[in-house]
Amino acid sequence: MSLWKKSRVSDVVHVEGRMETERYIYTPGPVGVKVAEALMEGRIMGVKCGNKLYIPAKTYCPDHSEGELVEVKGPWIVKSYTIIYEDMYGAKLDKPVVIALVGTEEAHGGLIHYVEVEPDKVKVGLKVEPVFRPKEERRGLITDVMFFKPVEHG
Amino acid sequence: MKPERVPGRYIREEDLRRLPGVIEYTPTARYSYSAGQALSEFLRGLKDGRILGKLCPSCRRVLVPPRVYCEFCFTPTTEWVEVTGAGRVETAVTSYIGAARERLEKPEIIGVIRLDAPGHAENSFDFAGLFHKLCGVTEDDVKSGRVIGMRVKPRWKPVHERMGSILDIECFEPLQPREVV
Amino acid sequence: MKSNIFVKDKVAIVGAGLTLFRRRLLETPRELAWEASREALSSAGLTLKDIDCIVVGSAPDAFDGIHMKGEYLADGSGGFNKPVVRVFVGGGTGVMVPVVAWWHVASGLCKTVLAVGEEKMSHAYPHPQGVFAYIWDPILERPLGPNLIWIFALEMRRYMHVCNASKEDIALVSVKNKRNALDHPAAQAAAKITVDDVLKSEVLVWPVQLLDISPVSDGAAALVLASESVARRVTDTPVWVEGIGFTLDNTHWYNRDLAYPRYLEYAARMAYKMAGIERPWKEIDVAEPYDPFDYKELHHIEGLMLARRCEAPKLLKEGYFDRSGELPTSPGGGLLGVGNPIAAAGVMKVAELFWQLRYEAGARQVKKPVHKAVANAWGDLMQAGTVVVLST
Repeated sequence: MSLWKKSRVSDVVHVEGRMETERYIYTPGPVGVKVAEALMEGRIMGVKCGNKLYIPAKTYCPDHSEGELVEVKGPWIVKSYTIIYEDMYGAKLDKPVVIALVGTEEAHGGLIHYVEVEPDKVKVGLKVEPVFRPKEERRGLITDVMFFKPVEHG
Repeated sequence: MKPERVPGRYIREEDLRRLPGVIEYTPTARYSYSAGQALSEFLRGLKDGRILGKLCPSCRRVLVPPRVYCEFCFTPTTEWVEVTGAGRVETAVTSYIGAARERLEKPEIIGVIRLDAPGHAENSFDFAGLFHKLCGVTEDDVKSGRVIGMRVKPRWKPVHERMGSILDIECFEPLQPREVV
Repeated sequence: MKSNIFVKDKVAIVGAGLTLFRRRLLETPRELAWEASREALSSAGLTLKDIDCIVVGSAPDAFDGIHMKGEYLADGSGGFNKPVVRVFVGGGTGVMVPVVAWWHVASGLCKTVLAVGEEKMSHAYPHPQGVFAYIWDPILERPLGPNLIWIFALEMRRYMHVCNASKEDIALVSVKNKRNALDHPAAQAAAKITVDDVLKSEVLVWPVQLLDISPVSDGAAALVLASESVARRVTDTPVWVEGIGFTLDNTHWYNRDLAYPRYLEYAARMAYKMAGIERPWKEIDVAEPYDPFDYKELHHIEGLMLARRCEAPKLLKEGYFDRSGELPTSPGGGLLGVGNPIAAAGVMKVAELFWQLRYEAGARQVKKPVHKAVANAWGDLMQAGTVVVLST
């Protein structure tokens, strides 16, 4: 095994490389198009499978049957959350960001989204509502909802 | 007749781009690829104008490009062996397109070269070899098959331009112009 | 080839389904998997509840542009709250999917398996060829600026040289398969063409021209495999998986002769031995050799030992491999005719044999009586061979 013993890490050559493609264009799919159109009109869709409601909307149900698209009207609540202090590269954020699993009491699942709230005010069960972008800025993407914010009392 | 039903909806690119909810994304992932112990030495050899292989102590094959193990015997390879770089063209093709399928202005000829490793084991199926560009041969040589079996040698880049890369070999060219064996 | 395989249960294919194969489909990858799965299940008269285990096959993640495509595709393939495995051996994936599904059932682990292959190649722009750049060795190969077609062209050129086969001989495969695909409802590249059309098509990497290659496709295909007891209950015409084989040849592809597909011969010997087939050229009635390129079908006919080395081009010319011939190959149209959504394409080939052996292929049905069939796929950097042998 002479080779292994003789070699030093500094002897090993490294070659720089980069994986790139001009771009990916991801299709939304036939049901995704309907979900996108609803978002542009300010509606969030789920899928009804028998008497169960699932969020987010999908083409098919867990049992593989075709689901029925329905609007989820709320009331929305925080089902779980986390608070982000650093960005992807480990740099400290100016202001912590609250990310939550937002859903409704009866629905299975939910949306992962931002909640505009002070980190010490967020809790499971917090009542929230979506805040949409102005209509002309919407593109049928989940970011058409800018964030969820706590429902004002009174 | 089966299949009776084939679901799916064809869509043209321009129609897809207009759909609400379509997402465009450009990824870039950067890497630093380790050449490992054997290939690092091989790349340094190229810089010096030498093609290095590793000898398997068990089957006496010369492995070019070199590896730290012989995949036939699954034993560590031992000595370094320098081959002359002379060899024969196994197969060659003419490429009219580039890496992303764009048309090339000038076609390239690419081949597999079976390298001479005299005195060492090889058989008709497995051999020491490299994959590289060919120069000094024509599209017609490829089509007619004259290029196959042709004796070739590496054409090296000038010393000051070498980087320790497979591109330190500019291409493989006929050993003697137009010699066909 | 040593084979010492413990088989607890006999395995049959009892259902098959496909989506359309097209250059670009509106459906998302998981929706394609779902559509094909539904077709396969309904053709078997089963529902997802009846399925014990799931096998999902898909080739490089970079095509769909989703890392860990297996788990992404899983729910569309019914893979949830059940044992699920993703299979990936490049182009060989399509036939590896039924191979892996076979051992799930043969081992006694699962009674029923839904086996799905999916590929969406339209996501990457400007062309999926760009994505192929990352399957090359980054140190020795990628600096040369290779296009994936290079290696296939090198292989084809070597085959032509060793076997003294002409471009005209090889183009006949493309003519035959595209013609066969005219009768396939999912086909993307069915056409009535001549050898001359192939020779006049765009030259990409000589000797490979545009019509020598299968198209870029989106699509999915699925099979339902079941143990003998289940199979006999759900159908009167199960198609038995009699043998499976898979081999990987040396990854240092330019250190070996490219004229003969040794990887396939080894895999085929393994499968034939299991199936008790001693003279495949006599015993096999119909075949789906993997044909992403036209020369590849000839290469694979020889590797599957359905013809002697270098004999395939001559037999092809005589009509031996036509639908009405002695040993029809790619009667459904193959990848050249139906399309090549990588992992789905191999599954499609096995599905075609399933329909042929049940005499359900309609206009595509071969003329002769059929009992035994073989399909193969090929992939990774030209070294993976996967084979299944089927019988009635």
